[in-house]
Amino acid sequence: MRYPFPVGRSDFIQGDEAIARAAILAGCRFYAGYPITPASEIFEAMALYMPLVDGVSIQMEDEIASIAAIIGASWAGAKAMTATSGPGFSLMMENLGYAIMTETPLVLVDVQRGGPSTGQPTLAAQGDIMQAIWGTHGDHSLIVLSPATVQEAFDFTIRAFNLAEKYRTPVVLLTDAEIAHMRERVYIPNPEEVEIVNRKLPQNEEEARLPFGDPHGDGVPPMPIFGKGYRTYVTGLTHDERGRPKTVDAEVHERLIRRIIEKLERNKENIISYETYALDDAEIAIVSTGIVSRSAVRAVKILREKGVKAGLLKLNTLWPFDFNMIEELAEQVKKIYVPEMNLGQLYHLVKEGANGKAEVELMPKIGGEVHTPMEIVERVVG
Amino acid sequence: MQIRLAGIGGQGVVLAGVILGEAAAIEGLNVLQTQDYSSASRGGHSIADVIISKEPIYDVMVTRADVLVALHQLGYDTVKNELRKDGLLIIDTDLVKPDREYVGAPFTRIAEESTGLALTVNMVALGYLVAKTGVVKKENVEEAIRRRVPKGTEEINIKAFRAGYEEGLK
Repeated sequence: MRYPFPVGRSDFIQGDEAIARAAILAGCRFYAGYPITPASEIFEAMALYMPLVDGVSIQMEDEIASIAAIIGASWAGAKAMTATSGPGFSLMMENLGYAIMTETPLVLVDVQRGGPSTGQPTLAAQGDIMQAIWGTHGDHSLIVLSPATVQEAFDFTIRAFNLAEKYRTPVVLLTDAEIAHMRERVYIPNPEEVEIVNRKLPQNEEEARLPFGDPHGDGVPPMPIFGKGYRTYVTGLTHDERGRPKTVDAEVHERLIRRIIEKLERNKENIISYETYALDDAEIAIVSTGIVSRSAVRAVKILREKGVKAGLLKLNTLWPFDFNMIEELAEQVKKIYVPEMNLGQLYHLVKEGANGKAEVELMPKIGGEVHTPMEIVERVVG
Repeated sequence: MQIRLAGIGGQGVVLAGVILGEAAAIEGLNVLQTQDYSSASRGGHSIADVIISKEPIYDVMVTRADVLVALHQLGYDTVKNELRKDGLLIIDTDLVKPDREYVGAPFTRIAEESTGLALTVNMVALGYLVAKTGVVKKENVEEAIRRRVPKGTEEINIKAFRAGYEEGLK
């Protein structure tokens, strides 16, 4: 297999470009999208690369159709992705719920910009955190990943595909305009170096008859692929193990929804990823995600030089969320600061996790610029 | 090293930043490049930031520039306060009237004289910057130019880069 970009060496590329290349290396062969700043470069790269790897890249009429198309492609056996920004992400919410309900593996990239509405098209924000987790209606769970560098945008995209396949779930890669457009040196691995996970397929007729059951006891049913000889019924209505609508049976509804949520909750340890910096003996903790984490690392270094025992917890996954880990952190430190590029979203998750064991203080910033390290430092030392 | 390139739209400031960054990446250094420009394709301010370091880079933009390259008065006025007190100011001496110590040359005029094209001013300034600072190797910039400029314009861009480089050695 020849790749339309150099592999096995470093390159100097934008975050959007890194996401597109990672998707190709992860095995994505279907992309459907609608252009929107600051995610358009992902689409441009996919339009260029897909024909060269025997894949498909389609411009749809809007974002609703874009996610619908990748859901269909996924059921036809392809690894599929779409990318958008706030306004398009809002339009995708209903079908994101459909993907959760039908347990469809896919990757949805949301390159956050200032909102609400069309807001600040060219500037970064973290205002979609709660929407990524809770934006679609009804009880549900999904996976949300959040990179802080162009290398992480690359690495987490591959991970997003693998998690989507492993747990038969949509995965949201939540990035922002800053990472999308900044260039950094990124290592693009050889295909042999890339770990690839593929979805479970039915091994026999019996398994294929239960596409929403739990034949392996792990909550993740094998996924019959359209055109492979099985008759499968896929619906957003509450359905039984065979996929047949059962819309007024409380027991069927509870069994389905609880399994969809539990298949991620019970695998939390394998899904959740984070990094710490100088946290072991910290008395002050900063909890951050995405682009702001870069300023937070610098802030911790400066605070340590000033004699303040500060440390950082950088969250690479935003959902599932490890509330217990935050509570343990709150037991260790005196105070937790949450710098984020919104008026308070991650803050609420951290506060719930801290459970009153430590004071949690929000450091909000909106308007398009990332917190500077000194803004964080000054807030901590007063 | 934090380097900021400032000019107006159409001067190729962002491309110069990208090429400088690519050269650093070729050398195996850590590098980050971001840009800020107005929505006008020509005439508004245009800024490219490049941070080059052997250490991991956490900054997302230039906060205290070690080097500021100003190709136009508008670009200079927009960002002059972010240059360190002891930082290096490099200007197009025909187009920028600075209010502090500086080095520089009439880059746009040199571009016209060396290649016949004023729009190669970005490569002239880049050559001057590389000669004055030694932040990356000349050969790596030339390799980066070959990778990044439109096909067929490699040699004219390298010619402009070398003209600027020679000027910077004076």
